[in-house]
Amino acid sequence: MTRTLGCGAILRGTVVFASITSLIAGPALAAPPVDLSKWSPDYVRSIAGTEEFDTAAACGKVTPLDYKGRLTFWYQGVFEGDPDLLRQYYKDFFETFRKTYPNIQLEEQALTYNDLLDKFRTALLGNAAPMAVRLQILGGTEFASKGYLQPLKPEDVGWATEDFWPGAMKAVTWDGVTYGIPTNNETMAFIWNADIFKRAGLDPDKAPATWDDVVKYSKQIHDKLGIAGYGLVARKNAGNTPYRFMPQLWGYGGGVFDEADPSPTYGEVRLNSEASKRALQASYDMYVRDKSVPVSALTNQQADNQPLFLGGQLGMMISHPSDYNVMLDLQKKATGSDKDKAQTVIDNMRYGLIPTGPDGKRAVVFGGSNIHILKPEYVDGGKVDEPAAKALICFWTSPEWSLKMAYAGSNPGNLNGFKTKWMKERLDNIKFLDVTTSMLPYGIPFPALPESPEIMNIIIPDMLQNALTGAMSVDQAAEDAAKNVEDLKGGGGL
Amino acid sequence: MAETSTARARPRKRVDRWRWAGRIFLGLMLLYTAVPMVWMLLTSIKSGFAAMQLPPQWWPAEPTLASYQKLLDPQNSVGADFLHFFWNSLIVSTLTTILGVIVAVPAAYAFSRFRFPGRNFLFFAVLLRNMFPAVIFLVPLFILMRWLGLVNSHGSLVVTYLTFGLPLSIWLLKGFYDNIPIQLEQAARIDGATRFQAFLKIVMPLSVPGIIATAIYSFIGAWNEYIYAYTFLNRNDQLTLPVGIQRFFSENTTDFPGLMAASFMMSVPVVVLFLVLQKYFVRALTEGAVKH
Repeated sequence: MTRTLGCGAILRGTVVFASITSLIAGPALAAPPVDLSKWSPDYVRSIAGTEEFDTAAACGKVTPLDYKGRLTFWYQGVFEGDPDLLRQYYKDFFETFRKTYPNIQLEEQALTYNDLLDKFRTALLGNAAPMAVRLQILGGTEFASKGYLQPLKPEDVGWATEDFWPGAMKAVTWDGVTYGIPTNNETMAFIWNADIFKRAGLDPDKAPATWDDVVKYSKQIHDKLGIAGYGLVARKNAGNTPYRFMPQLWGYGGGVFDEADPSPTYGEVRLNSEASKRALQASYDMYVRDKSVPVSALTNQQADNQPLFLGGQLGMMISHPSDYNVMLDLQKKATGSDKDKAQTVIDNMRYGLIPTGPDGKRAVVFGGSNIHILKPEYVDGGKVDEPAAKALICFWTSPEWSLKMAYAGSNPGNLNGFKTKWMKERLDNIKFLDVTTSMLPYGIPFPALPESPEIMNIIIPDMLQNALTGAMSVDQAAEDAAKNVEDLKGGGGL
Repeated sequence: MAETSTARARPRKRVDRWRWAGRIFLGLMLLYTAVPMVWMLLTSIKSGFAAMQLPPQWWPAEPTLASYQKLLDPQNSVGADFLHFFWNSLIVSTLTTILGVIVAVPAAYAFSRFRFPGRNFLFFAVLLRNMFPAVIFLVPLFILMRWLGLVNSHGSLVVTYLTFGLPLSIWLLKGFYDNIPIQLEQAARIDGATRFQAFLKIVMPLSVPGIIATAIYSFIGAWNEYIYAYTFLNRNDQLTLPVGIQRFFSENTTDFPGLMAASFMMSVPVVVLFLVLQKYFVRALTEGAVKH
């Protein structure tokens, strides 16, 4: 940590403080398996590799290992662009499950990130959904509120509610009932190119402290080097956009509702607050006033920032934990002089905490995925094999597999995963992992509302695009977005 | 005399100028269409890192066929999937093409030759479907396919593609039949042929270019279709190529060389088919468009 931030003690202090204020704000629960109030890179390291877990034995108590059944299952898969390591773990998971439950006929379907929700919605309309589904964190409340999902809590598959992040459990709770189990949770971090910082006259080992600094640094990089400073993304209907704008919005003290408060009620729309407008103004300043971000930002998603970053044409961006491993894979597969060039980029990569707002507020989207069981009437064939579904869910949310399936790109949903030997191995092998895990306590879940996917994937990007294209002023764009949220909550469509 | 020769030479010069302008225009059009294909091919032989370089490596510094080897290796999980998707696309597209021709040929013939009540209305009703975007029919067709028990089967795609491909096929073929003089059939009938024999032995051979054009059109439509294949098929072993190619996009990154190699290989059958049969395709489009 000190290698990137140069101030370990301060970091640990702020992380612990953030842990206490944000995590303890969850519902009153029995003691979790790890002490969240002590959360720090050192603490995570100290608990890693301290406990052994037997997944087959634990899941055998939920569904007997000789159970005979059939399960259809959809999930956001890992594909060609994902790190090799992660793809191998997914392969291992399904092989191990089939070996452990040889009599369960599993028909799994991997879907891409941007298509899963639309495909799932269409299947539900035709009562042809799978028996179980693993969705992005945003999806749970939407489908629970519409009555598609069966109640499902960690205890149903042999785990305890306290085994999971309180914030993650909020995302699977609708109207007081739990409808799913978190499989993995992650927070993003800030990544920059030290060489670009140096050439632009900035401290190469110091991330911008505040979002105002990001605007300033971005302009400085652009003015001095003629390249993009900050990797703004504003594409519509792509999950990457809210994951990168909401930390800025919350950092400035704004929000869609009061989701950044310790006990949110989601009653009052705050997209048109002065704080929210300041956050939008920062994006406007970078895109329109300073022209210091990629001109293609309006249609960019994170995958479009990567080539810019790799090519030394982008100074800094909010980064997914998997980015470092993606770069390593690209370096490994490069040949000749490209190999050295790739190594130079990797050597210049720096990870740090996401900047704060003007009042020192640091925030990041608490992301991840959840797993759910469908009601029989929406499933192809009209039947759900619950024991088979629970066997798979127990497996995936176990300390072992919730860690392995999140090895390179996320963190285990089951907190016990942090105690496994594989976590210790990760900490030793994955550079910067301590930075991304350090952001976890700053994580704010998206509002646990059925309208959240529409708000985050459509209204927020629309607001950005309206302001950045000049179709509306910053004030008008914020007011328009607030009105759209009010209308949506009032039952109106968009 | 001299004046006459100058006067004769002038138009020739003008023609030459136009010809050159035409050539330049065609050259630009060729560049416009060929550059993306060349870029696709060049990207497919780069490493993942080289493909992401900015400014771009116009010519790969370290060319590699790794993406093609991976895609064509059935032992590799990526290759096994790709080849399977390729095979599925081939089955669906071929079936759609064959069935499309079998239905479109008699339908177009009937519209061309028979006079019956509601003929014009029916003909335009057939074309009506093409006036709406395909996505409008997505959910209703999905529910219909589920009711028919066709979801998760290639049959759902074949039936759907037929409904989309038939209107233009019928329209194209009707135009073609309209241009075949009816007197040829009448002569055959006088010589003792039945209507079916006249159709089979006189009209069919003359309409081969039109049928081939229709077949190419159906094949390309089915080969490239994405949204219905994506919605109707929920099993990995059933997916077609356009859906399979999506797998090169991940949440936070894209495998550009793999994507380009797969896209290039996907375009090969269509390009080969078109190159081999293009004279028929062009003939059918031009002949069907003009009434003699």
